[in-house]
Amino acid sequence: MIAVYRLTLRQLSGRWRISIMTVLASLPVIIALLMLAADDAPSVEEFETAILGAMFAGSIVPLVVLAIAAAAFGNEIEDRTLANLTISPVPRWKITLPKLLAIISIAGPFIAISALLTGHVAFLGEWPATLAVGVAAIAAVAMYGSMFVWLGLVSTQAIGAGLLYIVLWEGFFSGFISGVRLLSIRFYAIALMHGIDERRFAHLEHVPLSVAIGVTLLVSGGFLYLATLKLRRMDVP
Amino acid sequence: MTGTVFDIGYQRYTGEREGRSRGRLAVFKDGLRTALGLGRGSRAKVLPWIFIGILAAIAIIMSLVIGAAERFGGPGAAETANLPTHSDYNGIASIILFVFAAIVGPELLCRDKRDGVINLYLVRPLTGSDYIASRWAAFMTVMTGAAWLPQIILFIALSMSAPKPIEYISGHWLDVPRFLLAGLAMAAYATTLALLAASFTSRRAYVSVFLVGLFVITAPFTLGLAEEIGGTVGRWISMFNLTSIPVHVNDVIFGQVSEVTEDAPARELAAWIKVAWFFAWTLIPGFVLWARYRRLTP
Amino acid sequence: MIANAEPVIRVNGVSRWFGSVVAVSEVSFDIMPGITGLLGPNGAGKTTLLRMMTGLAATSTGTVTVFGEPVRDNPPLYKRIGVMSEHETVYGFMKGREFVTMMGSLRGVTDLEDAVDRAIGLVDLADAQHRSMETYSRGMRQRMRLAATLVHEPEILILDEPLNGADPRQRVHFKHLLHTLAEQGRTIVLSSHILEEVEQVADTVLLIVNGKLAASGGFRAIRAALNQRPYHVRVLCDSPRKLAAAVVTLESVDAVHVDPDGALIVLSRNVLDLQIELPRLAQAQSIGLRRVEPLDDSLESVFGYLVEN
Repeated sequence: MIAVYRLTLRQLSGRWRISIMTVLASLPVIIALLMLAADDAPSVEEFETAILGAMFAGSIVPLVVLAIAAAAFGNEIEDRTLANLTISPVPRWKITLPKLLAIISIAGPFIAISALLTGHVAFLGEWPATLAVGVAAIAAVAMYGSMFVWLGLVSTQAIGAGLLYIVLWEGFFSGFISGVRLLSIRFYAIALMHGIDERRFAHLEHVPLSVAIGVTLLVSGGFLYLATLKLRRMDVP
Repeated sequence: MTGTVFDIGYQRYTGEREGRSRGRLAVFKDGLRTALGLGRGSRAKVLPWIFIGILAAIAIIMSLVIGAAERFGGPGAAETANLPTHSDYNGIASIILFVFAAIVGPELLCRDKRDGVINLYLVRPLTGSDYIASRWAAFMTVMTGAAWLPQIILFIALSMSAPKPIEYISGHWLDVPRFLLAGLAMAAYATTLALLAASFTSRRAYVSVFLVGLFVITAPFTLGLAEEIGGTVGRWISMFNLTSIPVHVNDVIFGQVSEVTEDAPARELAAWIKVAWFFAWTLIPGFVLWARYRRLTP
Repeated sequence: MIANAEPVIRVNGVSRWFGSVVAVSEVSFDIMPGITGLLGPNGAGKTTLLRMMTGLAATSTGTVTVFGEPVRDNPPLYKRIGVMSEHETVYGFMKGREFVTMMGSLRGVTDLEDAVDRAIGLVDLADAQHRSMETYSRGMRQRMRLAATLVHEPEILILDEPLNGADPRQRVHFKHLLHTLAEQGRTIVLSSHILEEVEQVADTVLLIVNGKLAASGGFRAIRAALNQRPYHVRVLCDSPRKLAAAVVTLESVDAVHVDPDGALIVLSRNVLDLQIELPRLAQAQSIGLRRVEPLDDSLESVFGYLVEN
C-alpha cells in the first residue's frame, strides 16, 4: 500500500499543480480579508452563502479535487501503466485506498489551510467556527475525492462528466430544486459545518449532524468500494 | 494479332495534387468531426451533444414559458413580466458555452500533441499556421452553431406563439442579426481561450479544469472584490470577470443590460470600452495561439 | 520433463469478442515448462490472448487457469507470474532502480535490495540504474522493464514483444537469459514478430491466425504436418537440367524447375526418400553435387504457409 501511496503522491504533485492549487486555495482567504477591511462588510449570511457555500465548497474544493482525483487512475489508464499495479498480489482495495489517501494528502492540506484561515479571519478567531469550516472542508475533499477517483476509472471522459456535475448539478440545479440538494455533496459538507457549529449557515435547513456524518462515510466508502469493484472487473489496458 | 501484358503492380500516382488548401480543408473537417464526435463511436458523441442538448433545452423552456405567459396573460405579458429574451439567453447560456469549450476544445489540440500526430500534419504541404487556423476554424464553427441554434429555436418559437407571427417577425427582425453577431462574439472568445489553454499541454484534463476554474472562480472573486472597492477601480476589476466579457458585448449589441450583467459594476462603463476589452481578450490570445504554432516544424 | 505433468497454463475454449469483432476464437492449448513462442501476423489476436492469459482481460467464453487456478481476479497468483506488456510507457520521473524496487515491493519481495541488484544485474543496467528513466533509450527502458518483471523471481514469465528496441548484442544477451531461466524450470511465453529469434529460442510455438490457433508444437513437426505442401529443396550441381530429367522420375518428387541462376529446385513431399535417391542419381549420371539445402525448413516458411492459407 505504501508503494502505491508514494507513487501516487509523486505522480500528482507536479510544480504546476501545486502552484494552481496554492492560487485557488488563497482566493477565499484574500476575499475574507478584503471583506473585513471594507467599510460595509457583508453579513455573516452573505459571506457564508457566497464565499463558503458557492465559491469554496461549490467551486474551489470540487475543482481542485477533480483535477487530482480523476488523474489518479485516469493518467495510469491513458499512459497504460495501470497494469504495473494490477499485476501484483495485493488485493484491489489496497490499490484504490492508497490512491484516495494520496489525493486527500495532496489536496487536503491546501483546502484545510485555506478553510481554517478563511474561517479564522471571517469569524474573527472563534475556534468552533474555524473548526467547523476545516472539518467540513476535509470531509468534502474525501467525498469528492472518492467520487472522482471512481469516475476516473469508469470513464475516459471523467473530467467532462466531473465538470458537468460541478457546474450543472452542484452549481445550477441544487440552487433551484431542493430535492437535488439531497444528492449534493456540497449540501452535506455544509450540513456538517452546521452540525459542528450551529451558527454556521443558520438560515438554511439542514439534516442532523449524525446524518451528515453518516452520509460522508457512506459516500466516501461507497465510491471507494465501487472503484475497487471496477478495478477487479475491468480490462486493464 | 498483337497482345499486351499490363503491369498491374505498384504504380506511382500521376494525378493532380491539390496542395495546401486541400490540406487545410482536411484538417478543418477532421476538427469538426473530432469536436462533435462524428465517426468516432457513441462515447465520443456523448459530451458534445449533451451540451448542445442542454443549450437547446434552455431555449425551448424559455419559449414555452414565454408562450404560456402570452397565452394566459395576453399579448405583451412576457415583456411586462420581464421574462428572459434573446439578450438574456446569451447571458444565461454563456457559462454552459464556456464549459463546453473547456471540455471539448482541448480534444482538437491535445490529442495530436500527445500522440505525436502533429508531425504527420507538418510533413505535408501544411504549415503550423495552416494547422492552427484550420483547427480554430473548425471549433469556431461548432461553437457558433451551438450559440446560434438555440437562439434560432427561440426566435421561431416566439414568432409562432405570437398572436400575429408576421407582425412579430417584422417588429423583431432586428433581433436576428443581433443574436447572430452576439453569438459569433461569444463563440470567438470561448474558442480562442480554450484553444490557447490547450496549446500549453497534452493533457486534456488539466486544460478543462483550469479553464472552468478560471471562468467559474473569477466570477464571484472579481465581483466580490469590485463591490468592496467600488468606484472606477471596482468597475475595472469587474471587467476581469472572464465569463461576462462577451456578455457585455452582447449588451452593447442589444442596447440593453441582460439579467446576468445587470448587477455587474462594469455595466456602467462606456460601450466602446467593453467592445475594445472584448477584442483585446480575443485577439491577443489569438495572436499568442498563432505564434505558438507558427514556427512548428516536423 | 515428467510425461503426465500438469500443464502450467491451460487455455480452454477461450474466445473474446469486442462488439461484433471476434479477436480470439475457440482457442485451446496447454503450456508446459520451457519456452513457448506465440506468433501471428498483426491483428491475429496474440496480445488479446496474452492479456487473457495474464488476467488483464476477461474472456468472453472459456477459461484460463494457471497452476490449476483461474487467473482472473486472483491477485495472489501474481506472486508466481511476471508479465511484461507490449506498452513501453514507464514512469518517466522515476529512476530505474526506484522503478524495479517499487515493482518488487508491490510483489511482496522480502529481501528487496538484493533482489533488485540481481534483477538489474541480469539485464546489465547497473551503470544506468540511478538515472531517470526519461533519459533512457528505448532498449534500456525495455531492459529495465524486464528487470522489474524478474525481480520477484516468478515461475512464469509472459513477455509481449520483449525485444522491441533491442540492439543485436542485447538480443543475444536476452536469448542466453531466456535459456538460463528456462533451464531453471520456469515457464516462459513470449510473443514476437522476429521469427528468427523465436526459432532459436522457443521449444514450442503457437501460431495464431485470425484469432484461431492455426498450429502448435515444434515448428519442424508443424512443417511435417503440412503434408499438402511439398518441400522445396535447392540443389547446386554441374548439370542441373540433366539432373532434373533424372530426378523427375522419382515417385517422391512432385515437380522440378531450374532457376534463372542455374539452381535446380525440387518439390518433394518425401524429403527422406529424396535424401537417399538424389546422391544415387547424381552419381549414376556422373553429376557433381555441390550443395543441397531445404528452402522452407524454417519457421518463417511455416508461418508464411499458414498465414497465406
